[in-house]
Amino acid sequence: MIVAGLDMGVQNVKVVLLKDGEILSHGMVPSGFEPEKAVEQAFQEALKKAGIACSDIKYVAATGVGVELAPRVDCKISVVSADAKAAVYMYPSARTVIDVGAEESRVIKCDEKGVVLDFALNERCAAGAGAFLEAMARALEVKLEDMGKLSLKAKGTTSISATCVIFGESDVVSLIHKQEPKHEIARAIYDALAERIVSMVHRVGLKPDVVLVGGVAKDIGFAAALKRKLETEILIPKNPEYAGALGAALYAMENLGGSRK
Amino acid sequence: MKNSSDKKYSIEISQKEAEEIRNAIKAASLKVMDEYIERMKKSWPNRPEAMQYFYDIAKFFGTREREIQEAKEEGKKVIGYTCMLAPIELILAADAIPVRVSSGFYDPVKLGNRIVPVEVCPVVRSTIGVEMIGLSPYLKLSDALITPLTCDGMTKLSEILSDSKPVWTLYPPRLKDSEQSMFFWREELRTLKAKIEKLTRTKITAKKLKAAIEIMHKATRAFRRLQEIRKDAPVIMGRDAMLVNQTSMWDDIKRWTEKTEELCNELERRIREKVWACPPDTPRVMIAGSPAIWPDNWKLPNLVEEASPQGVIVADELCSGDRFLFDPVGVDEWTMDDMFKAVAERYLLPSTCPCFTSEDGNKDRVNWLTARIEERRVDGVIYHVFRGCMLYAMEYMRIKRVLDKINVPVYYLDTDYTREDVGQIKTRVEAFLEMLKSRVEF
Repeated sequence: MIVAGLDMGVQNVKVVLLKDGEILSHGMVPSGFEPEKAVEQAFQEALKKAGIACSDIKYVAATGVGVELAPRVDCKISVVSADAKAAVYMYPSARTVIDVGAEESRVIKCDEKGVVLDFALNERCAAGAGAFLEAMARALEVKLEDMGKLSLKAKGTTSISATCVIFGESDVVSLIHKQEPKHEIARAIYDALAERIVSMVHRVGLKPDVVLVGGVAKDIGFAAALKRKLETEILIPKNPEYAGALGAALYAMENLGGSRK
Repeated sequence: MKNSSDKKYSIEISQKEAEEIRNAIKAASLKVMDEYIERMKKSWPNRPEAMQYFYDIAKFFGTREREIQEAKEEGKKVIGYTCMLAPIELILAADAIPVRVSSGFYDPVKLGNRIVPVEVCPVVRSTIGVEMIGLSPYLKLSDALITPLTCDGMTKLSEILSDSKPVWTLYPPRLKDSEQSMFFWREELRTLKAKIEKLTRTKITAKKLKAAIEIMHKATRAFRRLQEIRKDAPVIMGRDAMLVNQTSMWDDIKRWTEKTEELCNELERRIREKVWACPPDTPRVMIAGSPAIWPDNWKLPNLVEEASPQGVIVADELCSGDRFLFDPVGVDEWTMDDMFKAVAERYLLPSTCPCFTSEDGNKDRVNWLTARIEERRVDGVIYHVFRGCMLYAMEYMRIKRVLDKINVPVYYLDTDYTREDVGQIKTRVEAFLEMLKSRVEF
């Protein structure tokens, strides 16, 4: 039995195909202005990798902030529940899930079955999410993909406040003017974002094991900062940006009465 | 009317501009009210006839506005109030009409922003805007306003409104449970009583006060009866119950009481016949925190009861809702002194507003919340906080700790007087309801 999970993210549309509870393939396409087209392309990508036809998919569950725009889906699930399901599927010991996406970040506490017990989301502010890093990399004039590596060289001699993206940017500019080394500023940027995530974690309560997912989980600079601030080990899956889509796919499977073989 | 040079805050705008904005917002609001009422009807198709009365009164501009206008022409005075610490019995005892004037309109916030920073709580900014353009009939018709100084926002709002109307401040002691506090509060109310008597040219006699207390006793009985009904499997949708509660703040209270009793008769029959308003296993939600004021700020109630999975609001802890008429004035002897003392106590002691504190940290609020959660079998609490509503925001951790202990999930929902965040809030509310549903099923 093949089912699909679709995650309509702010920046990317992601698809995960599951066969009898095992991941078949992934697909990811920038959301853009035509969500229907992006969904179509993401599906095509995943289908091609799996070598199957669209008609082989029995059931589709969707999640993500743009879920209302998702065409032809069988059911919907919230990003919070999807993340919890995905985390426990990947790591049965997961009890706290941190998802940092482009414009939204979440912290979820769950039980061994992946049932959500409590959660918090960054409240209406992009300073707690990936968009913050993008803006800061721009201000620092480095590529976002290079900023993480750069930050690892730093000792932590300076800091910025991440109360808001705009103010964060002016903090960075004034550090540049003070001739603070770039790698130190990079680390300060990650620390600021991690600080915000950590305060959400503490609102919900930290319970190991901690799993980090979402696109920003791939950023080694952020992962290092979060680990420093949380003072705990963090599990990061291989494809963290697909957590929402995977959770949706698992939900699709449950809805059809299936389970992992 | 004062000259603009005498004004403390310049809340003047040209008559032409005020009129244009008022007409535009009024037209939009009428549409919003119609739309919301239609949506409420849609999610409760088998609602009883008795509900129609409240939908009509909810239409803000219209029947009730004209009624008050006519009463004023016959010489009655209208006394507005910004917060439920204002003693309604004293207003009624002076043959005046009480109306609550804190605003639930979204659009006037932009006008309020001309006078106070955007960080200020939206209820305050909206009420300022409403006054600038004369949008709310009830605020406009008020001859004077009672403004309890509960939080910083309400305190400065009182000053700002005093530029256009007589404003009578009430200063509640933030520590309730001491003899000096009670003494101080009684003196505050005594001063207020004299002001009411002067404006209305009516002496508040023992006989009149007794009659007013009795009117409010009946209202409280009807109010409590309705809340009692919400303990059971849902025979009324939460939004509708909230609307009934809220109309008591501008309707004729005697008529409101009769209509609420009628509605309760019908609802109690439905409990016996097991005619539910929604499936009995629908997650039971309580809303706590900042007030949800009709019409625009019906955002959260709408989202909860239209979400997928759906929730039903079986309780709230809002000063715009379940708390409003909850407590009766407890009189021992019908002497003026005793009645007055009882009225003063009624408005101070049971209040669970986070503006109060005590050695054990606003224990009254904690007790009120946990008692309601238990009796109404609440599955989860949404803690609703406006940006700039410091007291509710700060007290969240205290409440969360308590609810964690009794294993009741609570979600902190931060919002503002804006329509733009509906999508974001929907994500949060649906995730919360999904969580409640999966807990209910276990």
